Amino acid sequence: MLSANNISKSFGGVRAVRNVSLSVPEKSVCALIGPNGAGKSTMLNLLSGVYQPDAGTLSFAGTELAGLPAYARVRLGIARTFQKIRLFKQLSLLENVMAGFHIHQDTPFWKYLVVGDTGRFREEARELLDFVGLGARAGDRAGALPYGQQRMLEIARALATRPKLFMLDEPAAGLNPAEVEFLLQRLVDIAKRGTTLLVVEHNMDLVMNVAERVFVLDHGEPLFEGTPREVQANGRVIEAYLGGEFAA
Amino acid sequence: MSDVAVLVVQQTVNGVYLGCLYVMVALGLTLIYGVLNQINFAHADFVTVGAFAAFFTVTRFATKALGLPDAGGYLASLVVALGVGALLGLAINAAVFAPLRERGDELRPLIATIGVSVLLENAQLALFGPIPYQFDSPFSQHTFRLGRIFFTGQSVLVIVVSALSIGALYAFMRFSFWGKALRAVAQDRETAGLMGINPGLLIGLTIVIASALAGMAGALLGPVLVLTPFAGASVVVKAFAIVIIGGFGNMQGTIIAGILVGVIEAFTVQYFGAGLIDLVVFVLLLAMLVVRPTGIIAERKEENV
Amino acid sequence: MNVLLALSLNLVMGYTGQLNLGQSAFFGIGAYVSTILVKTYHWNFWLASLAAVAFAGVVGLALAAFAVRLRGHYLAIASLGFAVITYQVLVNWEKVTEGVRGIYGILPPVGSTVGLFYLIAGIGVLVYWLMDNLVRSPVGDTLRAIREDEVSAASLGVRSYVWKAFAFSIGAGVAALAGIFYPGFVGTLVPDAFNIIESFTMLAMVIVGGMGTMIGPVVGAVVLTFLPELLRGFGELRLMIYGIALTLVVLFMPGGIVQLVKRK
Repeated sequence: MLSANNISKSFGGVRAVRNVSLSVPEKSVCALIGPNGAGKSTMLNLLSGVYQPDAGTLSFAGTELAGLPAYARVRLGIARTFQKIRLFKQLSLLENVMAGFHIHQDTPFWKYLVVGDTGRFREEARELLDFVGLGARAGDRAGALPYGQQRMLEIARALATRPKLFMLDEPAAGLNPAEVEFLLQRLVDIAKRGTTLLVVEHNMDLVMNVAERVFVLDHGEPLFEGTPREVQANGRVIEAYLGGEFAA
Repeated sequence: MSDVAVLVVQQTVNGVYLGCLYVMVALGLTLIYGVLNQINFAHADFVTVGAFAAFFTVTRFATKALGLPDAGGYLASLVVALGVGALLGLAINAAVFAPLRERGDELRPLIATIGVSVLLENAQLALFGPIPYQFDSPFSQHTFRLGRIFFTGQSVLVIVVSALSIGALYAFMRFSFWGKALRAVAQDRETAGLMGINPGLLIGLTIVIASALAGMAGALLGPVLVLTPFAGASVVVKAFAIVIIGGFGNMQGTIIAGILVGVIEAFTVQYFGAGLIDLVVFVLLLAMLVVRPTGIIAERKEENV
Repeated sequence: MNVLLALSLNLVMGYTGQLNLGQSAFFGIGAYVSTILVKTYHWNFWLASLAAVAFAGVVGLALAAFAVRLRGHYLAIASLGFAVITYQVLVNWEKVTEGVRGIYGILPPVGSTVGLFYLIAGIGVLVYWLMDNLVRSPVGDTLRAIREDEVSAASLGVRSYVWKAFAFSIGAGVAALAGIFYPGFVGTLVPDAFNIIESFTMLAMVIVGGMGTMIGPVVGAVVLTFLPELLRGFGELRLMIYGIALTLVVLFMPGGIVQLVKRK
């Protein structure tokens, strides 16, 4: 469904990602892991269109992605969350999710001049908030939520675009064990509905529990690819992680 | 040299002279932007206040009360204007930038400085009235010749003083501990804070330096300007253009752009008339924004996500 | 009329977070284009008005087309530059605009000044209603999302520059709409009425009233229009008060008057 071939990207001479290829099959759950600075987030930013690759090709469901800006990729059905949470902090939870329906609004704007708010998608937005356990706080300001709930709100907002492929950048970072468990359940639910998932993650428990296929990056280059079990047993992966930790 | 060549060189000299003045004003803006990511709209009025301070020093104080010779009086006024600018910088930092910094909003400090600007302009209007003040530099009387090119003492003074201040500023930023710390703060405020650098103090210092430059620029500009409470505004509008053309926060770019704009202005006056200066400068600005919004010396930054 | 101006700026600034200092220029374009079409070319007033608003909208769109790629400060300065250029054109293009001498003897489009007052009030209410609908609709959600965070708005499929240009252009059109009625009201037209100071005054109205709310700019416009009348004796201090108000509100009352009232 999503395939990247020999993608490279450098920033001011520093090669963040070099010759990375990966392919995410439809309706699968894949994970992208690697030690700090391995280029995972850069890869996700390349896939979602925040950055454009210096070299390589990207395609999604038969459409070439390279050169397409982020907003255009959303219309193809690619949604994402951010490593550093990026919510509309001054807006309410409901407004955050409502903004997510943007690409599905098809009423011409002049109609709004006369009729104002149509209430369309409001029900669906509330359902999404319920789904991530925030239904009761719909009117609160997003910035006032505790960290873990902000993550869940960001997920609800991205789901409002009705993605075919949903990419999450370290969704478990900073969550407590109970929150990680809840997140895991929701990810499984999302996958069951037929949405393809690509998760960038540090939390090995989460990866081992949801992912069918794992890509490992190290120093911007592909290191290994396989099932979670194979990854756990692979000596080079373990070495990269341990080495990474010692270096840090 | 042919007459045309003489004219071109002469106008270039005049342009560099103007350009140096603009650079002094624009550097302050770009300095503040560099460390703080903020624009001080009241910068213009610091220039005007500096000019008024110099005016009163020269006419009321230095020559009359202290009995200094004219030249000494004018030089003293430069120092006074520098000090007044620094005080204003201290004040605006304490009143606006410091309290608003923690809120992390980019629009509000900008708007607050517009408020300060409107306030300062009209306070001066109430004090000094709308009638322009005349203010001559004793150095304007002396002219030098180099071949067929004329220099006034004032233009030599301006070029020397601005070259000295720009050089000092540059050396300060490059080599002193404070300058290095400033650049660290500009790069990453939080990390610099962790390294034991006090960002608040440094930002304050930057604003004070920038404002002092503006004040002195006012004193140097005084004799060129029609000195009214709104005089600085016309200069600063150009300084904004220069900062954009040079690339925000980029010192070298600002210096080059400042001199460039000065020269363009000199030629515009020569060939099209003075009324069109603002128009020409701003068309240049808009064109620049279309073609190359990062300024002449490009500095690519991708937002960190 | 001031209410209209404040509303026009609020749409751009309050809802998409763009600081536009060029509103005075659009105000001027509205005034000059409509007046010149009526006086020199003997157009029907309403037709001329329509043309003026459309013209300002198109110019706004053109300016926005590249201005929206710039954030915050760049836009503020580009729009300031636009205001300066427009002012200079009004002053220097004497053949058409009469320059600093100004255009005199402009009659109100309806019978009397009082009639004009009611007409403007009516239009103000209409514009308020339309804009209120717009900002409460999904379009409003989109604009606010852009104001909060463009990168994440893009991650939801929002083409932020299209929407910013849209808001910018509508703001320009509404400012021009206010401009159309200005000359009929005062009877003369001089470039100084559309100085950059006018942009700052609008800014003060929006900020003092409460940015990003619908009623805020209306309150701000009313307060800052009547306050100077009360303080008439202070003369030049009027603008000083604007300056102080602007700074103090930003420092101590970020939500403006409206938020203060809500809290109580």
